[in-house]
Amino acid sequence: MESTTDFYNLIDALKADSANSLGLFMPEITLCVFIALFLAVRLVTTKLDLFWVALAGAVVGLVSSNPLQLCGGNVESEELFTGLLVHDGLTIAIRSILMLFLVLFLIFTKISGVPDKEDGADVYSLVFGSTLGMCLMASANHLLIVFLAIEMAGVPSYVLAGLIKGRKRGSESALKYAIYGAGAAGVMLYGISLLVGLSGTAHLPTMALELAQIIPQAGLGEQAVLCLAAVMISVGIAFKLSAVPFHFWAPDVFHGACAEVNAFLSVASKAAALALLLRLAVGLGSVPLSEIEAPQAIQQTVEAHQETVQTDLVPTHLVSLEDEAVSGSDEDIDVKSSEPVEAQANAETEAPATEAEVVEAVDPRLEIKQAHDEALSPVRNFIGLLIAFFAVITATFGNLAAYGQKNIKRLLAYSTIAHAGYMMMAVTPLMMMLGTDNNGAEQAASALIQYIVVYVFLNLGAFSIIAFLRNYVGSEEIEDYSGMVKSRPVLVICLALIFFSLVGLPPLSGFLGKFAIFASLADGYSTAGSSALLVLLIAGGLNTAISLFYYLGVIKTMVMGEPDESHHLGDRPVGRIEMAYVVVVSIPTVFLIVCWQWVAGFADEAVKHFIS
Amino acid sequence: MLLIGTVTVSWYLAVGAVLFVLGAVCMATKRNLLGVLMGVELVLNGANMNFIAFGSKVLRPEGSLGLDGQLIALFVIVLAAAEAAVALAIALNFYNNHNTVDVDRANELNG
Amino acid sequence: MDLIAVAWPYWHQFFFIIFATIAIGFGFGVLLSKNVVRMAFYLVLSLGSTAGLFFLAGAEFVGAMQLMIYVGGTLVLLIFGVMLTAQKDFINMDTHTQDWILATIVGGSLLMVLLFGAFGAEDWRTPQDINDAHVSATKEATPLGLALTGIRVDTLGESTDAVADGKSGYLMPFIIVSFHLLVVLIGAAYMARTKKLSHATDDKSSRAKLMLFKMEHEEEPLEEAKYVVTHKGKSALNPLDPNDED
Repeated sequence: MESTTDFYNLIDALKADSANSLGLFMPEITLCVFIALFLAVRLVTTKLDLFWVALAGAVVGLVSSNPLQLCGGNVESEELFTGLLVHDGLTIAIRSILMLFLVLFLIFTKISGVPDKEDGADVYSLVFGSTLGMCLMASANHLLIVFLAIEMAGVPSYVLAGLIKGRKRGSESALKYAIYGAGAAGVMLYGISLLVGLSGTAHLPTMALELAQIIPQAGLGEQAVLCLAAVMISVGIAFKLSAVPFHFWAPDVFHGACAEVNAFLSVASKAAALALLLRLAVGLGSVPLSEIEAPQAIQQTVEAHQETVQTDLVPTHLVSLEDEAVSGSDEDIDVKSSEPVEAQANAETEAPATEAEVVEAVDPRLEIKQAHDEALSPVRNFIGLLIAFFAVITATFGNLAAYGQKNIKRLLAYSTIAHAGYMMMAVTPLMMMLGTDNNGAEQAASALIQYIVVYVFLNLGAFSIIAFLRNYVGSEEIEDYSGMVKSRPVLVICLALIFFSLVGLPPLSGFLGKFAIFASLADGYSTAGSSALLVLLIAGGLNTAISLFYYLGVIKTMVMGEPDESHHLGDRPVGRIEMAYVVVVSIPTVFLIVCWQWVAGFADEAVKHFIS
Repeated sequence: MLLIGTVTVSWYLAVGAVLFVLGAVCMATKRNLLGVLMGVELVLNGANMNFIAFGSKVLRPEGSLGLDGQLIALFVIVLAAAEAAVALAIALNFYNNHNTVDVDRANELNG
Repeated sequence: MDLIAVAWPYWHQFFFIIFATIAIGFGFGVLLSKNVVRMAFYLVLSLGSTAGLFFLAGAEFVGAMQLMIYVGGTLVLLIFGVMLTAQKDFINMDTHTQDWILATIVGGSLLMVLLFGAFGAEDWRTPQDINDAHVSATKEATPLGLALTGIRVDTLGESTDAVADGKSGYLMPFIIVSFHLLVVLIGAAYMARTKKLSHATDDKSSRAKLMLFKMEHEEEPLEEAKYVVTHKGKSALNPLDPNDED
């Protein structure tokens, strides 16, 4: 009898949880509904142009992801679907960015003419399906969802890479993408299995809690397993981000696929992968406050807590020698110096319920959290250094390899790789400051969001111009762009602006994004004092300087070069719609500085409850 | 049989690790596209073996992953099937365009 | 199971060794065989005995699914692929020697690391006492099915809050994966279907396509007229067209 009522309680809990979750899951539901709709329409007729339906779907998705929520209200962090997903500012922000991108992307494909009416239904289903996976990536709170989302985002994009059938290059790029993608997903799954097996749960916050207890007493074997798992999972994410040394697919796929697909892969897939990186890094590096059960009586906890601190702290120093590069002692000093301030600040916001607690002025859960976070500091250092390593070689390699590229799409592929490196740089200071200086950590996450916002417009603009030029000129070789400024001034000027912005020249938007990330690196260096951050800062600066030249090379060819008469280029003038689209997408590049306050506010609000 | 003592989770993990490595090497060395896809299946199977071993109450009653392990394994099987279907369609498309299933012939995009 | 266990205490070891040997042995068979048809057959045996290991570990339902979906579905798909591309040249394909050397070194060291990991954690290599209660608790098809609808009946005995314990119901992925399968189906059909390009749907699209194909044939540019004619065929550029060799 007892268990029967328990069973009904479970069902009631499920009903309540699902009802609550579905309301916050509207953008994904919209995508699902429209995928089914495309199929239904496709069954009835193949004549109908589904572009308008798709556009309506994207707009509904954008509206239902409700970015304005971030401007006004205070978005709390909330678990959906029995803890599988998490809904917070970051979810809203990334989802809105993805949906906004989807709207712009659909208009772009309509203007450029790929896909045609006949393929529209299929291609839009694939794009929507992939975006659905990306939305899940941004809100994953469970390692099954991490893998599921990566597959859902990846598998349809393998097909998209071979969008134009009958082209040898297209099918080759789809093949390479599919094989490398499947391999990376397999490696990541193995890493996930090790991590899940060690901690006994796949739910990220619970996992962090378990790890906080495992790590202080971990033997060599457990440490090796943890490192192995972290490296294998990072392979999967590095593949998605096209981070060196898992970047080799990117130039080939970008070269073989058409520019429309490149825009989708380089923007949406990157944004989602970065969000997933943030989720995993922060999810494993700190225990959220909500996960810690509030003790009954304060007296008991203080005693119990003192014990935990004593048992937890001592072995931590021993464990932290797995990251020799980071000086453990510096960390600890910082912890102690910022502890009172931190506790004070948090205690005020937490608003203790009873009089007794006000006298204490400290939420007992905070102290437990502090102890847990202390225990997780080797995890944070390891993840931070791993990402720093990836970021430096990715940015450097991407920028160096971009020299000598003759094809504009390959050049932009390497530029995409380099930018993935810059964006990953923001995660290292985040990990270094997490737990000691949460405000600084939030600033680092916010810098990353700001960069993503800027980057969406830059790469979409660049690839749309390449696609439009292809339609007129029939070439994507840089030498064929020679002297283009005379025949197609608007496109060339916009491309030049975008390239300068990608370099990071002020006052263009790229500068603001880069500045935010470098500022958080500097901030991290001054608080955490890790030399890795200094290395990142120097590498970032040097890379910015290096990247100037190859972008300038393209612009020089287009502006200064003589048009090659023998190369039969189309003479048709650029259509008005194309020009209007390019100008609209380029506007943020120039004018984002005017409303930068708004972008920064959006990003700050997005990460507000991300680190709790 | 006495030599290996009681079968523990580690033994299953060892089988999983061997299958994983075999699959990975298969992916790296096979020249036939379908051979590469078979390597992918082996890799995913190796990872699945881990999930089953961790979730097994028979091997490790205390501290096991329980049902979660089996559920994740189920989802992995489904996702692997989906991935195989798409990869095979892409492989056939490649075959139609290039008239070969030799991955070494996929070398047009280089530089 | 109990009867066997009483009569013969080493049955688990015995079957484990048999299934593991078959799985790994035929795994090696897949790797070492040159013949793609044999490889497919070895893979069937390898994955089948993996299902046996699943049964042995107490995951009967997943073992059955492994047999039905993997061996019955996915592998049949692969074998179709083998049959569709079965030409004399592609049945037997040698791997280059330098690839073998490199793969052996890298694969060997990877295996060492993974095996070290597998036996690394103390919790994993220490045997635990298994009593009958646990063995009978492994009849898990019903809890699995309920978990897919979001209800974790295996948390019933435990006092703590189900969500806080990290035990999640899997209703959402169960439904969302169906949409994934739908998209994958559309994608695979899109890839496999030959496209009729005979009627250009609108000006812009046909121009974009023309340019895309033109770029592919920069070395020997196609005449626009010829391009259109070629497109009347079954695929965009007829792969069997002798003029279309690179």
